[in-house]
Amino acid sequence: MLLPTPVVTQTALTGDADDPRALIVIFLRGAADGLTLVPPLLDDDYHRARPRLRVSPREALMLDGFFGLHPLLAPLHSLYTNGTLAIVHAAGSEDTTRSHFEAQDLMEHGGVTAGGWLGRFLRYRPRARHGALSAIAVGRELPLSLRGAPAATAMQSIDEFSLGNDRMAGALALLYGGERDMIGEAGRETLAALARIEKLRGTLYVPDHGATYARDDFAQGLMQLARLLKARVGLEAASIDVGGWDSHFTQGAVIDPLMVKLGGGLAAFARDMGAQMATTTVVVMTEFGRRVAENASFGTDHGRGSVMFVMGGGVHGGRVLGSWPGLTGSTLEGPGDLPVTTNYRQVLAPILERHASRGALEKIFPGMIIEPLGVYG
Amino acid sequence: MLSRRKFLQVGGVAAAAAAIGCDQLPEVIRDPLGFDDDAPSGPFRAPVSGEIGMVSHALSRLSFGGPPGEWQRVRAMHAVEERAVERYVAEQLDHESLRDRRAQRMARRLESLAAPLGEMYEYKEDFLLGEMTRGAVLRATYSTRQLYEVLVQFWTDHFNIDSSKGDCRWLKAADDRDVIRAHALGNFPEMLRASALSPAMLWYLDGRVNRRVGADDKPNENYARELMELHTLGVDGGYSQHDVMDVARALTGWTVRSKDVSELGIGRVEFHPELHDDGEKLVLGHRIPAGLGERDVDAVLDIVALHPSTSRHIATKLCRRFIADEPPAAAVAAVAAAFEGSGGDIRSTLKTLTATSAFAAARGSKVKRPFEYVVSALRATNAETDSGPALTAYLSRMGHAPFQYPTPDGYPSAPQPWLGTMLWRWNFAAALASNRINGTRVNAAALAVAAGGESALAAHLLGRRATDEEMRAYHESGAGVALLLAAPAFMRS
Repeated sequence: MLLPTPVVTQTALTGDADDPRALIVIFLRGAADGLTLVPPLLDDDYHRARPRLRVSPREALMLDGFFGLHPLLAPLHSLYTNGTLAIVHAAGSEDTTRSHFEAQDLMEHGGVTAGGWLGRFLRYRPRARHGALSAIAVGRELPLSLRGAPAATAMQSIDEFSLGNDRMAGALALLYGGERDMIGEAGRETLAALARIEKLRGTLYVPDHGATYARDDFAQGLMQLARLLKARVGLEAASIDVGGWDSHFTQGAVIDPLMVKLGGGLAAFARDMGAQMATTTVVVMTEFGRRVAENASFGTDHGRGSVMFVMGGGVHGGRVLGSWPGLTGSTLEGPGDLPVTTNYRQVLAPILERHASRGALEKIFPGMIIEPLGVYG
Repeated sequence: MLSRRKFLQVGGVAAAAAAIGCDQLPEVIRDPLGFDDDAPSGPFRAPVSGEIGMVSHALSRLSFGGPPGEWQRVRAMHAVEERAVERYVAEQLDHESLRDRRAQRMARRLESLAAPLGEMYEYKEDFLLGEMTRGAVLRATYSTRQLYEVLVQFWTDHFNIDSSKGDCRWLKAADDRDVIRAHALGNFPEMLRASALSPAMLWYLDGRVNRRVGADDKPNENYARELMELHTLGVDGGYSQHDVMDVARALTGWTVRSKDVSELGIGRVEFHPELHDDGEKLVLGHRIPAGLGERDVDAVLDIVALHPSTSRHIATKLCRRFIADEPPAAAVAAVAAAFEGSGGDIRSTLKTLTATSAFAAARGSKVKRPFEYVVSALRATNAETDSGPALTAYLSRMGHAPFQYPTPDGYPSAPQPWLGTMLWRWNFAAALASNRINGTRVNAAALAVAAGGESALAAHLLGRRATDEEMRAYHESGAGVALLLAAPAFMRS
């Protein structure tokens, strides 16, 4: 039997050998209620508008003297206080349709433009390297945000990365080992990445630093990503969704379990990654927030501004960023919604610059005047 | 009452169901009278030389690779291999005389793609993109008009439109038919004009909102810039910011009737004099007098369509596609001269290109893009495919799904952006050869028998006799045809 020849350098396997940065994008589909995830505890209008659904200052975990964190997101509190996690409030997009489809569409395209913003990022970043496993969507299909990526894979488990046959890998190593051109090089790099994944397969993954992942899809997906990132297979961008946030009716029953899932998954991931969080950025976003006033069925309807979370990757956390417009009648938008004071692209822009050096933003967010939010302080 | 709109929606779904159902039938039931006699079958000969011969080269570059029997057919066109290729080129350039029953029958089932412009809006957008994608793969795979299909792909990239932007979701299907396919082997200035006033292009590059009403209105320069940078002159083609501005002014006033305005005539392109800047313009040193109104567009296109920079730009791109990623200057100059001399006649230009010594010398030096890779594998293995989602998912994974490239420069022609796709090519090869792709079938055993053995089969797939090392890998892999489709030699064209 032939064995793959290990002729690949570290440079070839990661996007950038000196700085293997990765970006994980988590989309909360269905429009998550930012006012519940991160309630403005000291805003009296909030308590008036949400007599039954409000998070009281006694229950909440204090963040900065004005905002609090929902108790079910408690696992994120220490990440906030140790500076790993930043929150952006009243964030969202310019889409005012309040339609899930339209708003997700715009957010994932990154404007009225073609392709997805994450796909364009991967394609147009300077010194782009296109590794075999550079972009992964955890789930059944690629999200719109990854459209236009040079190579992107939807996967549910790393078992999908396989040639299914050792003899095939050996035979390919024989053929690609002897080629001097770029095809030969690409083939050898791919075989080396496969060999790394092969080592992972069949072994039990033990998360580091005592991290424990819950059994839900989200936590398990994050665990697969942590595993790939630690194995340095060249993963540069990944997307993973948490769906089901559309809480028109009995909001607590709808989103309480989702908050547990979100907080628990993110905390486990951060603990597991440990020092590697310094080069791994996690962004959490949703298509829009929810109406400030609760409705008669213990729920909330489609609104505008919500929250974003930014974790790791050197962000200057422990802060709630963005400008809070208040919830008085005159500041609310349309039918009574928190206005968007920070466009989500102003949050992504500095992160993409850090991941891609400089220069590609115009292609990633065409037509946008970039006024980056100071997520790095 | 069932409105016309509803009726068409239902009709669309029924047509879709019919098309899908029908494609899943075995060929013998779909084609009981054997109308598919342009499809190859039976024993065939493969190349025997250890080098890539001229016929193998031509099939690899000018078509999406040869199905079983195609090398033999072309090789038999003349005793001298180079003359045989000349005849093949002549045959392919006269594409309308080529019988193409199988591809045409398959394309006819994609009814939505033949719908009049306004009716395209009756279809769900995802449905249209699915049909366009199927159509692109089916025609590239099964058409006998291979050079035409290769050119369709070339111009699709040249005049790229991502179908996900706004109404392009519906309108790109008409652009594909009425701009790209209508002119792919025709006349460049005519194609350019069709593109300039294509509703999808007016959407994609914002021409529809390029207007001047008040004196301070700034025109939208998006299309004007790409017209010169990408479609005609090229980025170093010698135009200035002033030229961009005046071209944009000249093109003000063209709109696409939107579905918000009226149910009637949706997608229709209209000229609105009140939105047009009718002043004098200066473009590349040519004065366009005031008052031409909608004829401004012709004045602009006359200036750029056959400009020497355009000839050089188009010639360079054609040479990159058919000769080498860095084509020799002499070949580019010859092709540019043919383009200019023929008034942008694409057939004459290609005839000159394929006759250059650079074309003959450039064997096996290019990397297939994923679409070319997948289609060439389907053709080489004589695969039966419905080109359904299970197949096209491989193109998405490799970042080469038709009509989905976001920016106007089109899918890259250079090999580097595609080098991360190797794993998915190998996975595709393995899945194809072992019939693990839903709706796609190959008979590898029958293929080897028809070729007359494994060595001949390898030579058929690689375009030359396989090396000892390739045959050793073939035997050791235990993967059969999959190994040959995954080999470096099959990645190149």
